[in-house]
Amino acid sequence: MDNVCIKAEGIGMRFGARSVLDHVDFSAERKKITYIFGTSGGGKSTLLKILIGALAPDRGAVYFNGEPLSGLDDRALEPFRKKMGMLFQQGALLNSLTVSENIALPMREHTTLDDNIIKIMVKMKLELVGLRDFENLLPGQLSGGMKKRVALARALALDPEVVFFDEPTSGLDPIVASVITKLIADLNRVFGLTCIVVTHAVEEAMRIADKIVILYMGRVLAEGTPKEIRESTNPIVQQFITGSPDGPISFHASSKDFREDLLTSL
Amino acid sequence: MTNFFGYLGRAFFAFLQALSSIFYLFRETVVQTVVLLTDRRKRGQARILAQVDEIGTHSLPLVLVVAALLGIALTVLISYQLKEVGGYNYIPGFVAIALFREVGPLITAVIVAGRVGAAFTAKIGTMKVSEEILALETMAINPVRFLVVQRFIGLLVSLPALTILACFTASVGGFLYGSTRLGIRPDTYIRETLDVLQFTDIYSGLAKATVFAVVIVLIGCYRGLVVEGGAEEVGRATMLSVVSCTLAIIVIDTLMTTAFYG
Repeated sequence: MDNVCIKAEGIGMRFGARSVLDHVDFSAERKKITYIFGTSGGGKSTLLKILIGALAPDRGAVYFNGEPLSGLDDRALEPFRKKMGMLFQQGALLNSLTVSENIALPMREHTTLDDNIIKIMVKMKLELVGLRDFENLLPGQLSGGMKKRVALARALALDPEVVFFDEPTSGLDPIVASVITKLIADLNRVFGLTCIVVTHAVEEAMRIADKIVILYMGRVLAEGTPKEIRESTNPIVQQFITGSPDGPISFHASSKDFREDLLTSL
Repeated sequence: MTNFFGYLGRAFFAFLQALSSIFYLFRETVVQTVVLLTDRRKRGQARILAQVDEIGTHSLPLVLVVAALLGIALTVLISYQLKEVGGYNYIPGFVAIALFREVGPLITAVIVAGRVGAAFTAKIGTMKVSEEILALETMAINPVRFLVVQRFIGLLVSLPALTILACFTASVGGFLYGSTRLGIRPDTYIRETLDVLQFTDIYSGLAKATVFAVVIVLIGCYRGLVVEGGAEEVGRATMLSVVSCTLAIIVIDTLMTTAFYG
């Protein structure tokens, strides 16, 4: 139990009348890769924002190394945030700063390191993601995949304990996507980094995950190792991992009956 | 009718909400300004200097040209009336008072609100919608300290300086018109101006400029920080920023002029 890094208990969140997360319980172990699956618009990004403390949930709580995170203000969150890194879906690099300035930023703000040392560390982080030649470019001059790698280097700037990934491979070509997946696996293996990845890319998760959590209708539908998930007899889980259009999950997002909806609109 | 009052009530409530948020932003800005200025490693220095350069130096040509032209126009209008009663000697004093107390601070603030306040909203709003602000927060970097403080200090330094320069340039414009087209002797024009103009006139102009600086930075940054959505929302926020900034400046200017001289 003491090996749990991030623990979510009964997370509930609604935006207006729409309930995005109903009751989410899960935990992510230290030095392991945990994948969170879900349908598009199924509250994955919302859950991630709650896990990093950027959004306060309506119900439930998040624990980081056993300490409660939810409901803290920015100042109280600061020590936790220095131990976390986050890779945003679009990278979220500061567009007015160069690649190396972006990576140096957390170090400049939070450490007392000398500028020359920071320069060396930036080079090391860039080498890690294979982009050492690009340190003086602006984010606008980079491709989507490169932006994500730079953003990953920035997320690693303060040598965090845990890194959150918001759809790290979406919108990338298959080669870049597998490069990033391999990077995540390497970071975990070499540095013992705890990785929490939110995605709908099933294949990559099956390849490198230690644990998979499937989110469905605002609840945890199933969790377990890739093997356990693959052998699950739950038809919804099977539809998830095979990506079949036919199954219990309908692609219609509406809760109302179609015929009834048409007739009542008259 | 109920709809109308409902709308009015909601608008008023939204206004109060914005006001309280802006007050919160002001408090946080002051706190973070102290944090940044007392930082021994002077991490904010380059950002502050860049803002002084951007706000002050780059606004200077526009402000000076407008000020010189307004100085001439104001002298033309005032002389048009005073000529009738033979009050030529009063023209320099009238112009100086109008410029230093009212026109100089007001027009400088309106120009800067349009040029700089709008840019604050556009820049911060764009950062908000591309999740850059959220990224700053997750890196435990206070967005107010990182984005608002240097603009706050930059404007507090630049706007009073621009205002004084605008007042003097406008006076020179008035002087040139008065001495060449109205036939007032140059030495008389200068003496009359200096006789009438008190230091309190300059101070009151500076006081206005200081308050306007706070208004521009708070409204400009607030509008940017609350943007949700995409590019269209950033554009709308920028427009709203200029409109509400200009309105706030004029309302506060009227209140201050009335308080000082009413």
